[in-house]
Amino acid sequence: MNTEQQLKLQAFLDGELPEKEARDMANWIARDPDAAALQAELRNTRQALSGFEASLKLPESREFYWSKIQREIQRTERAERAKPATSPMLWWRRLLIPVTAVAVVAIAVLLALPSPGSRSSDVVTVLADPGALTFRDEKTGVTMVWLSYGAEKGLANGHSTSTLQ
Amino acid sequence: MSAKDYSSADDEALVRDAQKSDTDAFEELVARHRDKIYARAYSMMRNEEEAIDLSQQAWVKGWQRLVQFQGESSFATWMTRIVINLCLDRLRKLSRHRAESIEAMDEESGGVERQMPVVTVNPTERLERGELRQRIDRALEQLSEAHRTVLVLHEFEDMEYKNIAKAMNCSIGTVMSRLFYARRKMAALLADLKSEGWQS
Repeated sequence: MNTEQQLKLQAFLDGELPEKEARDMANWIARDPDAAALQAELRNTRQALSGFEASLKLPESREFYWSKIQREIQRTERAERAKPATSPMLWWRRLLIPVTAVAVVAIAVLLALPSPGSRSSDVVTVLADPGALTFRDEKTGVTMVWLSYGAEKGLANGHSTSTLQ
Repeated sequence: MSAKDYSSADDEALVRDAQKSDTDAFEELVARHRDKIYARAYSMMRNEEEAIDLSQQAWVKGWQRLVQFQGESSFATWMTRIVINLCLDRLRKLSRHRAESIEAMDEESGGVERQMPVVTVNPTERLERGELRQRIDRALEQLSEAHRTVLVLHEFEDMEYKNIAKAMNCSIGTVMSRLFYARRKMAALLADLKSEGWQS
């Protein structure tokens, strides 16, 4: 008997074969003594196991066993209650944080893009120095720098604007 | 007001009360079915302490999910499925921590068990009830976790091949192969055959 036949025989015993195959299997078992013997062995094992679990008893008293379950139920319920409730304010805050972040990024991107009507000669650059602004006209090749604070050392004598060519 | 008599109430009534957070009703359900739930955990885990622990976890889970119980099956069946799932999870975790033995792999691929001589004696006829129980207990102990689990789910839980395959995350062919091996080994062990004899 090959493996496939053995497993098919088992499936027949377990009622897992389609009707036609089950009929063929029943005929084969009736003809083949080896198949009949294997079927008997599998059936006997099944019978021996039936009722086994009913003999297993929990080795703890009703009260002790329940007390542990009850404690755990109470503990989990306490933990559940201790969790912060989801109030409408909290919900709005949770929603607003990502929305605000997205809005800030969007504004930054829009500001970084050149406006449609802008010309290269109008570009005004804010330098790393917050007190200075530059203007460059590409046509004339003129760059102007405005210094909005008082003149220092090298830029003394009242000149607040210098022109570079 | 007199205390409710839970002991005479049926399971359905107790479940309804427990669903309204009546822990006394739930305690009665635990008392009624605790042996069955423990037995299933023990059959799968083969460890008393672990079986008690998992059965208690199952009851806690049962309480937490009680509102989901609609009565499609009996309460005991529903609880049994919970403990089986917990046991399967635990077994999966355990098997991740240790490699399957070579013997177990050999069993799975179809080792010597298919060549074993057929056991012609019927152990249920030859043995006393108590002795048979002890022998079943010892025999189950000698099966690998995978084979024992298939056997328990099929023989004790009456699960179909496809449902066992789903629960154990394996193919139906593997279920059939494991079940066949488990039954044949059980037959030999119940008949008190020595494993060396299988190969003769």
